[in-house]
Amino acid sequence: MSLGSWLELIASGLITGGIYALVGLGLNLQYGLMRILNIAHGEFLMVGAFLTWMAQESLGISPLLMLPVSFALLMGVGMLVHRLTFRRLARTSPNLDIFEARGLMVAFGLMFLVQNFAQAVWGGDLRGYDFMTDPVHLGGAQFAANKLLLLALSLAISAALIGVLRQTLLGKGVRALMQSPTGAQLVGIDTERLHPLMFGVGLGLSGVAGCLLSMAYTISPAMGEPYTVTALIVITLGGFGSMGGALAGGLALGVIEALGMHFTNPSLKPLLSYAVFIGVLLWKPNGLFNKR
Amino acid sequence: MSTLPATRWERLVYRVRYFLLDREHLGRDILVLFALAGWALALPHYGSEFVVSMALTCLMYIALSTSWALFCGTTRYLSLATAAFFGIGAYTGALFLEDWGWLAVIVAGAGVAALVALVMGSLVLHLRGTYFAVLTFGMTELIRHAVSYWEKQVTGTVGRVLVVVPERDTVYLTMLALAVAAVAVSIVVRRTRFGLGLMGIGADEQRAQTLGVNTRVAKTGGFALTAAFAGAVGAAMSVRWTYIDPATVFNPFIGFQTVLIALIGGAATLWGPLIAAIVFSLLAESLRLQAPQLYLMTLGLLLILSVLFLPGGLASLRWDTLRQWRDDVTDWWRERRDPKKRSKKKAAAT
Repeated sequence: MSLGSWLELIASGLITGGIYALVGLGLNLQYGLMRILNIAHGEFLMVGAFLTWMAQESLGISPLLMLPVSFALLMGVGMLVHRLTFRRLARTSPNLDIFEARGLMVAFGLMFLVQNFAQAVWGGDLRGYDFMTDPVHLGGAQFAANKLLLLALSLAISAALIGVLRQTLLGKGVRALMQSPTGAQLVGIDTERLHPLMFGVGLGLSGVAGCLLSMAYTISPAMGEPYTVTALIVITLGGFGSMGGALAGGLALGVIEALGMHFTNPSLKPLLSYAVFIGVLLWKPNGLFNKR
Repeated sequence: MSTLPATRWERLVYRVRYFLLDREHLGRDILVLFALAGWALALPHYGSEFVVSMALTCLMYIALSTSWALFCGTTRYLSLATAAFFGIGAYTGALFLEDWGWLAVIVAGAGVAALVALVMGSLVLHLRGTYFAVLTFGMTELIRHAVSYWEKQVTGTVGRVLVVVPERDTVYLTMLALAVAAVAVSIVVRRTRFGLGLMGIGADEQRAQTLGVNTRVAKTGGFALTAAFAGAVGAAMSVRWTYIDPATVFNPFIGFQTVLIALIGGAATLWGPLIAAIVFSLLAESLRLQAPQLYLMTLGLLLILSVLFLPGGLASLRWDTLRQWRDDVTDWWRERRDPKKRSKKKAAAT
C-alpha cells in the first residue's frame, strides 16, 4: 500500500471518528453529570440532520448557517425535555440507582417517540443534498472537500467544548458536579440551573453532529440508533464522565473501524464495533483512559 | 411457628400445607389462570382467522413479558436480551424442524437459549444497573450480526424458508401452553425459596448474600429460566412466519416491546404484564395497519407517563392513586392562581 492510500484510510477513519467524538461528548455530558443514559441521543442527531436538510432543500439556507441554529433549537428541546421529565424523576426517585433505571426507561420512550415522529413527518426514504463535493488533493491522497470540512469542524467544536469546561467558571462548576454532586452543592453550585443547561448542551451537540453528517452522507429516520450505540461504545472506551477520553475514544473507534473494514470486509463492521464494546466493558468497566 | 415436624413425611406434608394455605392469594391466582386458559382454549372454535392470529400475538407477549418479569422484575436486573433468546430459539427450531418432532423442536429451542443465557449470565451478571442493560443489548446485537454474517458468508443465504410447518391449531395450543406455563411458573416461583431469594436480590443484593442466598446461582438460574421461555416462544412463533432471517427474529423491537409491556403493567407484579400484554396486543393490531408510527409513538409516550406517574405499573393502580393525582392537580392549580395562599398553608403545616 502506498503512503497516499494509507493517508486516505486513516483520514476516513478520523472523519467518522470526529462525528463519533461529538456524539460521544454529548452523551457523556448527560451521563457523567446527571446519570441519564440517554438512549434517544442518536434520534436527536437524526432530527438535527433532517432540519438541516429541510432548510437547505426548501429555503436554500447554507448548512454552515444551520450549524448554530440546530444547536440552539435542539438545546431548547433538551431543556424542555429535562423540565418535563427528568426534573420530576430526580425529585421522586428514592436513590440514584432507581433514578438511573427509570431515566433509561424514559429515554427509551423518547426514542420511540422521536424516531416515529420523524418517520411520520419526513417518511422513511433516504435523503441527501450536494454540498462542497469537489475533490481536494493532499499529499498524494484525494478527499471530498465536505468531508475535510466535517473533520475540521467536529474537531474544532469538540476542542471548544473541552476548552470551555477547562477554562471557564461554568466549566469548573460542571466538573465539580461530576466529581462530587454533594460537595458541589455545598460550595454553592446551583444544580437546578446547571442540569437542564447541560442536558440541553448535550442534545445541542448531537444536533450539530447531525447537521455536519448531512453535509456528506445520506440521511434517514432510522440513522439515529447506530449512532447511539456508537456513542455508548465511545464513552465506554473513554470512561464515563471523561471528556478528553470521549474525544480520544471517538477518534480511535473511527480509525479501528476503517482499518478493520479495509483489511477484512465491510459486513464485519458492526460485528467489530460490538466486539470492541463488549470486550472493553467486560475487561475495563471504567474505561481505557481511566486511571482509577 | 410450632415445633418442627420430625420425620421426612411429616415435613413434606407440613410444607405442602404451608404452601397451599398460608400464602396470600394462591387460590385466587390459580382460579384466574384456569378461567383465562379455558377461555383461550375455546377461542379457535368460534373466532375468525383474524381473532385467532391476534390472540396468538397476545399469548406470545404474555409468555415473553411474564417470564421476563419473573427474573428481571423481581431482581431489578434490566435485561434487554429477550430478542437474542427469541431469535436463537427461532433459528434452532428452523434447523431441526424437518427431522425432529414438534415437541422436541420446542424443547431444543428452549434448551439452546437457556444454554446461551448461562454463558452470557456468567459473563455479565456481576454487573448491575445500566451496565447490565447496555451489555445485554450489545450482546443481542452481536449475536444478530454474527448470525447474519454467518448466513451471508458461510452458507451463502439470507434467511430460511420453513417448508414443513404444523397446523395453525397446533401452534396456537403450543403458545397457549407456554403462556400458561409462564404464569404458572411465576405463581409457584414467587412462593419458593428460589423466588424469595430473587426478590431479596432485588431489594438489597448484599443483604441477601449475607442472609445466605447464593446470589450467583440464583441470578444465573433465573436468567436461564427467562431465556428458556423466550427460546421456546421463538421456536413456536417462527413456524407461523414460514420465512425467517436475522433481521426479523433478532429484531430488537421484540425485546423492547417485552420490556415495555412488563414495565407498564408492573414488572414486580404477577398479573401486571398479562394485563398490559392484552391491552397492547389489541392496541397494536388495531393501530398498526392504519398508523404504525402512531402506535409506536403511543407506546413511547405511555412508557414515559407510566415511569413518571405510575412507577409501580398498571397493576399498582388503586383508587388512592387516582385520588392522589387529583389532589396533586388541584394543588398545582391553586398554587398557579394564588401563590400566597399556598405558601401560607405550607407555613401552617410546618
